[in-house]
Amino acid sequence: MKNRLRVLRAERGWSQQELATRLDVSRQSVNAIETGRYDPSLPLAFRIADVFELAIEEIFQREE
Amino acid sequence: MWGRLAKAGPVQRRYLRRMALSSVFYVAAIFAASRLLDREAPVSALGVVIALMPGVAVLGMIGALARLYLELGDEYLRMLEVRKAMVATGLTLAVCSVWGILELFTPVPRLPLFWVFPMWAMGLGLGALVNKLTLGDAGCA
Repeated sequence: MKNRLRVLRAERGWSQQELATRLDVSRQSVNAIETGRYDPSLPLAFRIADVFELAIEEIFQREE
Repeated sequence: MWGRLAKAGPVQRRYLRRMALSSVFYVAAIFAASRLLDREAPVSALGVVIALMPGVAVLGMIGALARLYLELGDEYLRMLEVRKAMVATGLTLAVCSVWGILELFTPVPRLPLFWVFPMWAMGLGLGALVNKLTLGDAGCA
């Protein structure tokens, strides 16, 4: 699964740690999701969508 | 260790504290049992209680691990720890099963059950290495 986490975070000027704090997860989690090494659960994907005020499908896309 | 403790989250700090307490109790219980008990002496209730104390400490370690898995709210870190436990379990099952079969059919020395938990704990280290090599993060505990 692809995601736009890094771009969205950069647009808002947030560090990985800042995003991690907003999501109540570790910085390693944010890094692992951004780099595609870990796909989040649906509840965490919804939390990410809430933080960015976007729909899940605007952040996560199916791998072609 | 102190640097790691300072960087750890509250769940990991509680885990390290529980594990440290159980480890100190384990060393003290092993020391007491080896000093106080004579294997040749007749069995007594007090002797059994003293001999059980190191096992109680091991139960404390297993409980600390169980609490870590239950309390870790960060799903990625929990996945890393569960992967470590899976590697440790696989290693322990493999070694014990293969060695057990060898014991049945060949005169190899018996593997004391005492070593099962330390072997599993060493497997956690192997699991951390597998995590590091495949995911880039070893784990959080």
